[in-house]
Amino acid sequence: MACRDARSGGSPRASGALELRDDFGQVVRLAAAPRRIVSLNPATTELLFALGAGDRVVGRTQYDLWPDSARLVPSIGAGMQPNLEAILGRHPDLVVMYASGSDRGAAERLTAAGVATAAFRIDRIADFARVTMLLGQMIGDSVRARTVVDSVTGTLERVRHATQSLPRPSVFLHAWEKPLMTLGGGSFISELVTVAGGRNIYDSLPAPSPVVTLEDVLRRNPDIILVSPIERKNMLQSDRWRALPAVRKGRVLAYDTNLVARPSVKLGEAAVSLAHLFHPGVLP
Amino acid sequence: MTTVIDRVRWPLLVLALVLALLLAVALGTISLAPAAVWNALLGRGDPAAITVVQVLRLPRAILAGLIGAGLGLSGAALQGTMRNPLAEPYLLGVSGGAAVGAVLAVALGVGVVFLPIAAFGGAVLAVAVTFFVAHAAGTRGDARILLMAGVVVGAFANSVIMLILGTAPSNAVRDAVWWMMGSVAAATWSQNAWLATYVILGGGALLLWARQIDVLALGDDTAAALGLAPEAAARRIYAAAALVAAATVAAAGLVGFVGLVVPHIVRGLGVRQHRPLLVGSALAGAALVILADLAARTLRPPSELPLGAVTAIVGVPFFLSRLRRLA
Repeated sequence: MACRDARSGGSPRASGALELRDDFGQVVRLAAAPRRIVSLNPATTELLFALGAGDRVVGRTQYDLWPDSARLVPSIGAGMQPNLEAILGRHPDLVVMYASGSDRGAAERLTAAGVATAAFRIDRIADFARVTMLLGQMIGDSVRARTVVDSVTGTLERVRHATQSLPRPSVFLHAWEKPLMTLGGGSFISELVTVAGGRNIYDSLPAPSPVVTLEDVLRRNPDIILVSPIERKNMLQSDRWRALPAVRKGRVLAYDTNLVARPSVKLGEAAVSLAHLFHPGVLP
Repeated sequence: MTTVIDRVRWPLLVLALVLALLLAVALGTISLAPAAVWNALLGRGDPAAITVVQVLRLPRAILAGLIGAGLGLSGAALQGTMRNPLAEPYLLGVSGGAAVGAVLAVALGVGVVFLPIAAFGGAVLAVAVTFFVAHAAGTRGDARILLMAGVVVGAFANSVIMLILGTAPSNAVRDAVWWMMGSVAAATWSQNAWLATYVILGGGALLLWARQIDVLALGDDTAAALGLAPEAAARRIYAAAALVAAATVAAAGLVGFVGLVVPHIVRGLGVRQHRPLLVGSALAGAALVILADLAARTLRPPSELPLGAVTAIVGVPFFLSRLRRLA
């Protein structure tokens, strides 16, 4: 990701021209640090607040609920196929969105309307660090961005170090019941499982959320099933699921779906919570 | 005058179904030796194999078979009654109504528990509306009017679905879209038991009325001349066929093309009268959907393909080849 900051130095700037390329490959030009930002992705919304730019966020999607103060920002509805008039009605000077192929047209129309629009694909832990630094440059606080990235990566390293010599349980990530969906290696949650000392049985699948058969899950015979608290109850009572030894042994672990949900500032905490599930007592 | 096809027709259909069932319990991502499968079916041997065969594969195959049998029965009855080779439950508002019910349940967040009930209710409602529209048009059971009313109700249902999905959260959209693609992945024995009840009751009624379908297929005037009240008979048969189709849709979502294609396959074997046509369509439909589900879960491991897409992909070329022969 080539970042073409004319005066890259990383020091906080109240104003300053900036040019960078986003994940649609489009050049994003900012004449000055943005003052009114609409963020259309829960991860970037949370990041902007963590970078101290929460007071500049003037619009979010209905799914952007973190941190708590983000709920006070007016919602413009859905983030995918967003309502462009609702966004423009917030008079933004920067729109940050998820780089989903179906929203390329929306990004182009926003740019044509004169609003700087940056689309980022945040799927992996590495994307978090990369996008945090880019957001830091855009809002003019690269130092704070570096601090946030260092703090999160520091926690991740601490967890990785604490669990790396332990036996690795194989983990099935239950993402959805009908159809049965899991999380492949392309998801940051799969990476978090590795950091926390587990091994995702589907980490070799590139798709972020592939549909799989229950029989194939049984063939891979996971030690642990990671599931949302609601699904856990259903699963333990289901005859189909009890075909899995892990379910019969009660190795169905509920994870915090509010914490392990976004590739954002909570990544470190999320890794800690998973490590507690896989290896109780190893981390303080 | 009996030909070869006349003699082998029934053994062929039964063999196809038995073979489909055996393949469906024998094959999957976990490879089991034929002997191990047989033992597992009888509840003997390796407990892990018993689990795979009895908990994962057999209920699925049975559900697929029931879906196929129900849709085959329904399609055969409707094509005869409507005197229209294109008639099938999905064209007559059943699938559209069921989908509205299902999508509504999903969008309201009560999908897991109420989806089958909502789908069933939606289908029954759509059929009732179809009858009402036909009645308002001044006819109670005219086949053509019923057909057109069904198509209109289906189109209306589609627009309602789009309205609901257009404003639903993305999770609900995913649930609903997958439901509309059809799946028997979550089959359970209790589900199979209640679907079997509907298919047996509805199918039994249709078999009982098979002679009336034969008469209706000759045309309303002929039917009336033969002493049958054509509108009342058509309405009864339509209702029973719709009920069976609605039950299948509630159990497994939309499995397209089966109700349309299967009666044509059986007629291609030389079956003309409706009692054998209904039985044959049940057998052929069951075999077809069992094999389609086998393909859906084994063609691209570890992933699973949508069942409705597989049946449509198999059904379309077959239907086109039939059209060529008819033209």
